[in-house]
Amino acid sequence: MADAASGSVDRSVQVKLVLLGEAAVGKSSVVLRFVSNEFQANKEPTIGAAFLTQKCRLEDRVLRYEIWDTAGQERFHSLAPMYYRNAQAAVVVYDVTKATSLEKAKSWVKELQRQANPNIVIALAGNKVDLVQTSAMSSGSTPSSESEDEADDATATPGESPSVSGGEPESLRQVPREEAQAYATEAGLLFFETSAKSGEGIVEIFTEIAKKIPIEHILASTRGGAGRSGGAGGRAGGAREDVNLEEQQSKKDGCNC
Amino acid sequence: MSTISTQLRNFKEPTKDQLTHVFFSIPEAPPVPLKDTEKQGSGDIEKMEINAILSFGAQEVEDSYAGKLHLLPPYLAFSSLDRKSVRFTLPLSTVRRVERLNARAGVYALSLSTWHGMKIIVQLTSLRPTADLFCGLLREALKVELQRGQMKAVKGFVKTCYSEGLVSLSGVSDNEREDGSLITETKEGCPAPETEFHGGLGLRFKFPGDPKKLREASKIKLWTTYLKNHGRNLTLLRYPQCTRLVQVGLPNRLRGEMWETLSGSLYLRFSNPGVYDQLLLDIQGTNSTSFEDIEKDLHRSLPEYAGYQSDEGISALRRVLQAYSHRNPEVGYCQAMNILAAAILIYMSEEQTFWLLEVLCDRLLPGYYGPTMHGTLLDQRVFESLVTRCLPMISDHFQAVDVQLSVASLPWFLSLYINSMPMVFAFRIVDCFFCMGPKVLFQVGKAILKINGEKLLQIQDDGGFLNLMREYFASLGDSAHPESADPRARAITRFQELLLISFREFAVISDETILSERRKYRNEIVNSIESFSKRSAVRNLKTLGRFTKEQAGFIYDALYKAMCDVPPPPTVAPPPSLLATNDGNQERAETRIGIPTFQVFLSEILTWARNEKIVINGFQERIDREVAEHELIDRLFYFWDTSCKGSLSFQDLVSGLDGVMLNDLMENIEWFFNLHDKNKDGYLTKDEVLTLSESFLFIFRHEIGDAYLGAVSKFMTNAFEYGDSLLPQHTNSKTGATEPRDIGHNQPYLNLATFRMVVLADEVLESFFETDLSASFRLEPVPDLELPPASSGFLGDLWSNIATQDNRKMFNKLSDELGKTIGKHQVIYRPTIGRFTKLEEPTARESLISPPAKTTSGSSLGTVVVSSSSSTLDTSSIHDNGPSSASVFSPMPHFKAVNAAFMERTPFAIDDAGDDDDDSDLDMVHGEDDDQVMDEVDAFLEAHDSGLTEADKEVAKDLLNAEPVK
Repeated sequence: MADAASGSVDRSVQVKLVLLGEAAVGKSSVVLRFVSNEFQANKEPTIGAAFLTQKCRLEDRVLRYEIWDTAGQERFHSLAPMYYRNAQAAVVVYDVTKATSLEKAKSWVKELQRQANPNIVIALAGNKVDLVQTSAMSSGSTPSSESEDEADDATATPGESPSVSGGEPESLRQVPREEAQAYATEAGLLFFETSAKSGEGIVEIFTEIAKKIPIEHILASTRGGAGRSGGAGGRAGGAREDVNLEEQQSKKDGCNC
Repeated sequence: MSTISTQLRNFKEPTKDQLTHVFFSIPEAPPVPLKDTEKQGSGDIEKMEINAILSFGAQEVEDSYAGKLHLLPPYLAFSSLDRKSVRFTLPLSTVRRVERLNARAGVYALSLSTWHGMKIIVQLTSLRPTADLFCGLLREALKVELQRGQMKAVKGFVKTCYSEGLVSLSGVSDNEREDGSLITETKEGCPAPETEFHGGLGLRFKFPGDPKKLREASKIKLWTTYLKNHGRNLTLLRYPQCTRLVQVGLPNRLRGEMWETLSGSLYLRFSNPGVYDQLLLDIQGTNSTSFEDIEKDLHRSLPEYAGYQSDEGISALRRVLQAYSHRNPEVGYCQAMNILAAAILIYMSEEQTFWLLEVLCDRLLPGYYGPTMHGTLLDQRVFESLVTRCLPMISDHFQAVDVQLSVASLPWFLSLYINSMPMVFAFRIVDCFFCMGPKVLFQVGKAILKINGEKLLQIQDDGGFLNLMREYFASLGDSAHPESADPRARAITRFQELLLISFREFAVISDETILSERRKYRNEIVNSIESFSKRSAVRNLKTLGRFTKEQAGFIYDALYKAMCDVPPPPTVAPPPSLLATNDGNQERAETRIGIPTFQVFLSEILTWARNEKIVINGFQERIDREVAEHELIDRLFYFWDTSCKGSLSFQDLVSGLDGVMLNDLMENIEWFFNLHDKNKDGYLTKDEVLTLSESFLFIFRHEIGDAYLGAVSKFMTNAFEYGDSLLPQHTNSKTGATEPRDIGHNQPYLNLATFRMVVLADEVLESFFETDLSASFRLEPVPDLELPPASSGFLGDLWSNIATQDNRKMFNKLSDELGKTIGKHQVIYRPTIGRFTKLEEPTARESLISPPAKTTSGSSLGTVVVSSSSSTLDTSSIHDNGPSSASVFSPMPHFKAVNAAFMERTPFAIDDAGDDDDDSDLDMVHGEDDDQVMDEVDAFLEAHDSGLTEADKEVAKDLLNAEPVK
């Protein structure tokens, strides 16, 4: 898999990453923020899965994320294996303002741990954290309409979205950070609270995944890439690790009409 | 995902009749869709098909075509022999006159005039009596339509069709219009034709694409001519030119109507006036998960189109999707439907869109959008196999680099390419799709792969594949041969090239190919979906208890099988959708079963929850399994229903079984005690002791010998003895230890410790609780369920016709009857515990006789006898059935007869105390009589209840054989 890219970009490692989670928790927004650093409303829903790529730099290595952003609706569930097979990483997203979405996330984690690649790195992301940050938000409704992604941001008028209709920001939180953190620790997941709207925590997810991914393993397992990787691992001189967003390869998905 | 759907199991291959209906896009008759055999006999207007030659047009605009004329009231349909050149589906109500033509001798021809004066001439080429019969039936059918007032409805309906305006506005009425009434009609309507006909958002918000570039004007002209000559909307005759005109792209203004005409949704709209408006009224104020899902996607459906930036478009989209999901709750709403509906609404009114969605989801793309999306998966599999066959190099390469075709092709099929290609091109594929059927999706898909063949052989992964496809779709408007010197060749776009290759090179893919490929892979898909949902159901269990995953899987299988037999009531399914949280949450979308399904479920895994009759009739030996019904089963149900919902989930069943299957002696005794301790106060009342004894009797009902009966009897004696003796000082106040009667039947009476002591006093019961109770639950792999046979075409069909459940039952019955007449019929109940296969255990028997003498508390024993005898009567009457009939009808092995005798006697042994008749011989005789009657009733539940004579048998046989013929 990696050899096609490694031919063109030196030391680039392809990482297949899949996003899973209940509908309307913000999967597409998380990807969009990461890939093009933007926040877009009214995107067409994901049919099957959307495919995007993003390169990022970790230490002296370039990772090329191939991101599969899957459809959230329950009935697409049976298609998910098609997308998470061979994935080296997964981001399971839930919505901090919706307790049920964590349950769904847990079931995804279970499924991944059972069915997917055994070395898969899984990150749990509690999205829409901007909705529950008390001081920062000026009003309840405006940010809510912006920050819901995928489905909810589609509803132009905030009042229409049933789950978040104003009110005291802190009261919107249904999943305490500690609870999710405890679960993530127990299940061996990376854990973040994120906001696709403000960008908080998004880059970190992918950085931490990059750190945790057994890159040597990937290189070794892909033809041709194995030889080069050996030396690269030793050079840990530059401790600076930042995700390089300048090389944006956002691929347009969906209808181009 | 704890929803368990058995829907996939219920799939039936369409009958030939249904296929014909589908081919002609004839809506299923709303009143009971009976099996075709029944229909023919039931006095409905008969269907008939007849060989015919269609000639059309006085000016000989078209050739004549040989084909078949079908009378499918209320429709008349024709298709040419190749099934694609020429066809029509004509509602009978559009026919105004039918004349027998004076023609040469031997030619039997009819002239049909439609309401707008178009004449169709069909020559019936079958033998004369057949033709006469056909005409007779046609006359009847027309009469019925006239009586129904459908003839009048036509004129109102066609006003909603754009084509009518198009034809009449084009000025000159053609010479075929003798009727005249039409012309005045439409002319009256002329002032405001725009408001009359149905149209889509495009009329207000513009249609996509440049009308000049699309050559709208000339297309409209061509169509106007065609429609004028060949009928339109309800009366459209589809000649080859029609298909060709569709393939060059429908004009925007006519597109909506042609879609509904070609797909046949027009007939649905015609035959269901007012239904859509009624639906809109019905859904007001309701809510469902589908509605919530729809709401999320409304603003994400073709958001670039102006119409969906306005409230008008959004509301229309909402209404259509809501109405559809409301009417089809089993499909509900699936992402991608929003895109389809949004696209269709540009060209069609809401009502038209609604009916087209019905046709799409129901007929054209069956199973695509349901909760399992099995149709989508199936067609992806079919597509894959077709690619392997026609484009082996690509398929090999994909396999080599481990790329799945579906990552790209799934959205193509799911959204009819609308989500993948620029809309103007996608709509042209949709045009062909509605005209030529689902095979178009496959043809186009393969053409795409073929055109990109060389590049596809270079790709290395899924991502590369998707990018290549994206680039290709973006370039569809470019010239296919930019370097060509010939300007005409340069003008050919890549899209035109795509269509050309689709329909030229892949014309071999026919509807039949797809049907047979679907048949081939259906099992595979269903099994993979089911094992997937099984795995996730097991995975999503909150607790497995002490079971392994494999065991939980067996429980799931048994539950699944039970659900196939007895689907849980539909009321179980809706409640989730009433809750107002989001989809995908397991708490809400949970399958729960009611008692009827539970009984079947238990009968799968619990030996005493079923009656197994070993039937030997000289021809076969089989085991008939029936579900047992008893208060104890219901008791278990409510015992396991810990959340008191009146229904059980998979989790409840696992936990419930965990509570009994893996227990030791003491735990089992306690479990049984708790099961009968209704108020959970730690005491059984006297009534509960009796109920518990009845439970014992129920469990032991098929055991051979008296040991268990003795044990139960002893148990009762002891229970009351100990219970009385342990009663509090209460007894002292009266006349002494012998007066425990004060205690009410519903007062706490026997505690667990006492119960345990009483049970352990009897070794039969002890061994029951020690091992037999747990062992009577058996988790074994359920034998593979029968899927509708999907294998080989003809043989498969044939087999599916023969090997139905009903036929098997019938065969069994028949062989039983034969067995009886030759005296070889015997029925033996299979013991549920089966510990004692021989008749020993004399000790138990002795104790059985002694109790009445020993017991002092007369009245309390009286109740014992009354209630228990009633229960034993039930069971004994079932008991009797087997053994005694055996003793009558067959030279049974001697020991079995003895068994029977013993089992006969046991009830009376108890009855003795209640001074019943002691004459067991006499009762034996009665029993036999009863049995005979019962056997016969069993055997002839359907028809006759007298004994079977040879003549009867003949008649029955004849009847069975006769049905399909007539």
